[in-house]
Amino acid sequence: MPPKVDLQKCDGCKGEKEPLCVAICPGDLLMLNEETVKAACRSTRDCWDCMSCIKVCPQGALETKLPYQLGYHPARLIPLMGGKRVSWTCVSQDGKVERFNYKNRN
Amino acid sequence: MAKGKTIVVGGGIAGLTAAERLGQAGVEVVLLEKADRLGGRVANLHRYYPRLCPPRCGLEVLLNSIDNLSNVEVLLSTEIAGVQKKSPGIYTVFLRDLKREADPYEIEAGGLILATGAELYNAAKISEYGYGNLPGVITSMELESLLRPEGPTGGRLVHPVTGKPVRRVAFIQCAGSRDKNHLSYCSGYCCTVTLKQIEYLHRECKDVSTWIFYRDIRTPGSKEEYYRHVREEYSPVFVRGMPSSIDGAGEGLTVRADDTLSGKKVEGNFDLVVLATGMVPSELPDIEGLEKDGHGFFPGHIPCAPTELRRSGIWAAGCAQQPMDVEDSVRSALSAVAQCLVRLQQENTVYPEVNKKKCDHCGRCVKECPYGACVLGPDGYPEIYPGDCRGCGVCQGGCPLSCLNLPGQGMKKIEDVVDKVLSGDVPGPAVLLFLCSNDAYPAWNRLVRKDEAKEVLKGVMPISVPCIGSVNMAWINEALIGGLDGVMLAGCHPGQCHHGGGANHADTRLQNLKETLGRMMIEPERLCLTGITIDDSDRLFSEIKRFSDVLAKLGPSPFK
Repeated sequence: MPPKVDLQKCDGCKGEKEPLCVAICPGDLLMLNEETVKAACRSTRDCWDCMSCIKVCPQGALETKLPYQLGYHPARLIPLMGGKRVSWTCVSQDGKVERFNYKNRN
Repeated sequence: MAKGKTIVVGGGIAGLTAAERLGQAGVEVVLLEKADRLGGRVANLHRYYPRLCPPRCGLEVLLNSIDNLSNVEVLLSTEIAGVQKKSPGIYTVFLRDLKREADPYEIEAGGLILATGAELYNAAKISEYGYGNLPGVITSMELESLLRPEGPTGGRLVHPVTGKPVRRVAFIQCAGSRDKNHLSYCSGYCCTVTLKQIEYLHRECKDVSTWIFYRDIRTPGSKEEYYRHVREEYSPVFVRGMPSSIDGAGEGLTVRADDTLSGKKVEGNFDLVVLATGMVPSELPDIEGLEKDGHGFFPGHIPCAPTELRRSGIWAAGCAQQPMDVEDSVRSALSAVAQCLVRLQQENTVYPEVNKKKCDHCGRCVKECPYGACVLGPDGYPEIYPGDCRGCGVCQGGCPLSCLNLPGQGMKKIEDVVDKVLSGDVPGPAVLLFLCSNDAYPAWNRLVRKDEAKEVLKGVMPISVPCIGSVNMAWINEALIGGLDGVMLAGCHPGQCHHGGGANHADTRLQNLKETLGRMMIEPERLCLTGITIDDSDRLFSEIKRFSDVLAKLGPSPFK
């Protein structure tokens, strides 16, 4: 399932030609909508949910909508990037929360 | 040292002063003037106040000096067509030769002083005064030209159209100024100009009578003494009220006004009516990132740094800053010169280092730098000209990949704090507190000396940052994942940030992060931004206390 763009939070990387999400997407699926100057996914069904764009977005404006095989709405999976640390939060459809903290190898 | 010449735009009194002083200091200067002669408006003045000396005297000194300086190049009939940042510390300036109809050509500038001055407000817009229709209604600048020996009447006080001698003169102050329909501001110089003109009218002809229609006479500082001198020496008639109309139907010009002091209608008949008009800024091509005030002037960061504009290496001087008289223009030009020289010669600057291994060329640093000090270099990585960087660290705060860091700042500091918290030394709730070094940090320093604060502050770990806009959200993420209970940002109040948008950047970034945290089922209240002024240590204390109480109620960090 594709990344969803929060249009309030996305600032189009301030008019940058190739914003970070566009640069990082391995499938070259993200683009900048020239009219709205916001990120957009050009082919939602091709997204593999690698979540690279979610992790890199400086505004936290992207969210992956989980495929139903992983969890029905409103289940979520949200990464938070620190320096040495990265944390993943899983919220199940009935609101159960689990967090996984890892060392970041960057 | 910045390569490229320093360009002074405008050859009026401010531009001449700046070019001459910089030239004397050995700086390569290009002086641009739109007209075909130097001197600007000052060259058309008859006398300066308060000494009633001719402006030519000071002007000749400047012009001779510039003539003798081989490092000052003067380009007449040349206007500025555009300015672009080229590389760190260097601007490309586009010039248009007005004599030849050719395309603009470019030169490189290491610095720019905008001494573009101001125009007089178009008096024809004030329809009730009939300027342009009624002969005999002139502006105070036209009266100056009229009285010059080189003027149209050879310096004699006669009517510019009929040639008859002038005996009764009315001055109308605030012509178009302090008026919402025209100029909402006070130009500040017009009252003293009128007093000066009254003085020399009375000196030139003994039987002249002068009236002033005014709202308030504004003569700050020693000009008040000049006002008293003119009032007592020449006894002009002061009418406190703005004329409702000028009637040119009969003999002379009839001016009618309501005198707000006596409450009576006043009517006078005059040979000449002089409108004391205010100033509007001269037109200038837009320069990216250079903020003007609501009227189109460049007042700078007032009051602390009036020469500081939102683009490093560009200064405004003279009436480009705000309407001002010659004295203030010279002063303004000299302060621009001083800042220009500091930039050329300074050695000790703090500026961020770029980690090119991590950088992704996204250019956010370039867009967010409040001073235009950061540009993408030929290799695509951000480059910062040390002389332009004011060390605010807004780039460091905005960098999505944390690859810009000021010396001594960065993720390492946060990791140390996290290690401390993980070792169990910090009593809860553990709070990471970022403090703006301008205001909040001095307030904090006073606070920690107080005994009664110690108990509350024991879980608080402070980090001083140059501006609250320099706090990177990845630092906050790291702290939260590392188990800190909350993060507080103590910056300046919005609108008071020295770097313009620092507090606003922090607010936007924090709001975004709070929204994400909310989706992650983490209480957004664990983050807080507050504005603290330097004398606000009591409020800083109560804010920390309130925040600690909130965190205590929320319980330990969900990441623990």
